[in-house]
Amino acid sequence: MGVEVRDLVKRYDMNGAGVQALRGVNLTVADNEYVAIMGPSGSGKSTLMNIIGCLDVPSSGQYLLDGHDVSRLGEDELAEIRNLKIGFVFQTFNLLARADVFHNVELPLIYRGLSPAKRRPLVAEAIESVGLADRAHHRPSELSGGQRQRAAVARALVGNPSIVLADEPTGNLDTVTGEEIMALFDRLHRQGRTIILVTHEADIAAHAHRVIRVRDGLVESDSAEPVAA
Amino acid sequence: MKGLFSTAEAARLAVASLKANPVRGVLTTLGIVIGIVAVVTTMTAANGLANSFKESVAVLGADVVYVSRTPWMFDGGFFQFRNRPRIEFAESAELKARLPRGVVVNPTAGTDRSVKFGSRTADNVGVVGTTEAQALISSTVPELGRFITEADVHHARRVCVIGATLHENLYNRTDPINTELKIGRAEFRVVGVMEKQGSAGFFGGPDFDSQVYVPVTAFMREFGGAARNFDFAVKAPAGVGVADFEYEVIGAMRGVRGLEPGEPDNFAINRMDSLVAMFNNVMGVVLLVGLLVTGVSLFVGGIGVMNIMLVSVTERTREIGIRKAIGATRKAILVQFLLESSGICLAGGALGLAMSYAVAAGIDRFLLPASVSLPIVGVALGVSMVVGVVSGLLPALRAARLDPIEALRYE
Repeated sequence: MGVEVRDLVKRYDMNGAGVQALRGVNLTVADNEYVAIMGPSGSGKSTLMNIIGCLDVPSSGQYLLDGHDVSRLGEDELAEIRNLKIGFVFQTFNLLARADVFHNVELPLIYRGLSPAKRRPLVAEAIESVGLADRAHHRPSELSGGQRQRAAVARALVGNPSIVLADEPTGNLDTVTGEEIMALFDRLHRQGRTIILVTHEADIAAHAHRVIRVRDGLVESDSAEPVAA
Repeated sequence: MKGLFSTAEAARLAVASLKANPVRGVLTTLGIVIGIVAVVTTMTAANGLANSFKESVAVLGADVVYVSRTPWMFDGGFFQFRNRPRIEFAESAELKARLPRGVVVNPTAGTDRSVKFGSRTADNVGVVGTTEAQALISSTVPELGRFITEADVHHARRVCVIGATLHENLYNRTDPINTELKIGRAEFRVVGVMEKQGSAGFFGGPDFDSQVYVPVTAFMREFGGAARNFDFAVKAPAGVGVADFEYEVIGAMRGVRGLEPGEPDNFAINRMDSLVAMFNNVMGVVLLVGLLVTGVSLFVGGIGVMNIMLVSVTERTREIGIRKAIGATRKAILVQFLLESSGICLAGGALGLAMSYAVAAGIDRFLLPASVSLPIVGVALGVSMVVGVVSGLLPALRAARLDPIEALRYE
């Protein structure tokens, strides 16, 4: 199960000139792996992350998520997959400024169509697990950066996704707070989650058990066993 | 498995968003508020007008045919009526003779005079010469005293029956019966007061409540009635349709006038329902024009809402990106923004409706009986809802179609 990517190609048409962001990526991430995807800017790692996160679809190639081919799905089907299987953590937290922590964490379950009565215990549990129980009714503007990212992690977890996808999760945090957040990811991994980090910082990537380096739209190196072609 | 985003949830989001920017919400709503006030006031006024018209016309009686020199309503061509002979008092007896037994014919003529009791004077009071037959035709009865009797007419007695308004104005609530009322230069003894007939001063027509009734014979003697133009109210016998009866009256009146076949009528037949039909036509046009004009203000209000929703979508691009990333479908985003715009408009509509109640109360007090009826409330809320959905559609579609990756990158 997990993530399985075959010959992934992504072309962009920029003012008539074709740009290949991904040029045939092969990658498998098993359940409960802790993976860091590294690469300089322009390497294609953002594109790869967008496709793995089901925000985008490849131009060609195949992406199997939990064994289902999601590489040819339409926008609303992708939205549904994101809702059920992906938990995003962003560099800039991306919380709704006007809503409190509770409502932010609740949001994925609202879009899943769960009733308020079913949502409440799940939301409370997710907030509790990131240590924000006493901040549940604060707005993001009333929280520190670390607390905001914890709220974002709680939002990523609340729907019990297959993958937690974190894009530079410590990029906007100081080192100490960043380490706290990474400790949170470490713990989530120990609890059985599949975590994919996208980062360009080596000490962040060091938390992962496997590092995949991307360059020029291809996998340059993979610290795990090379994937059979 | 399919996560259906509930409408109730979207409504909650819309309310939260409106709360977050109340000043903008209020300003945006203003256009809708004004539009709804305009629409509701137009409809309420039209309704009140129609009701007061029907009320005053009901006095004329549905089964009564009026023989007059001119039609009550005509467009142009006044001179063709101008040359017609007057309807003479003597013709009423001839007409009655030519109609079946049991048909009531009431000849009336009117003039304006100053009316004086003690030190109080009322100017331009409609003085109507009538007969006891009016009691058989009109549904209104005297509230005090009695109406004019056959004997009053026969002896041309100087007695009168006054309208309710006249009673209030001249008598300061004292008993007018058997007082002497000066009508023009002649003195008439008051024998009765008519009950209130409601606001009938329609289209500048006679206000029945400020009229004074005198025997037609006394009228002719005191106010030069022999040279006056009369109207005959002819009541159809029970069980005869007023439309059929009208032809009978025309035939009889042609006989009175000695008209040859082929000669055009030199008199006019008026009926309440033709008046109502005419009124409905006029009212329909007035209402249409009124609603068209007020519709423009709603349209402008809708454009205001659309504008602010477009701004809102642009401002909240990132929010939309976040929502999409965590699983909002296009439909969920669409519904959210549509509910927001219809929420704005519905709130504006409700506010406008509340203000319309005040406006209607003012109209009711100073102009004509008017109240905001339930169907009008429904129309107002429905219209604001539709304006909300229509004006929100473009912004909501724009929001729904945003690419999540682009939207998340938006600063």
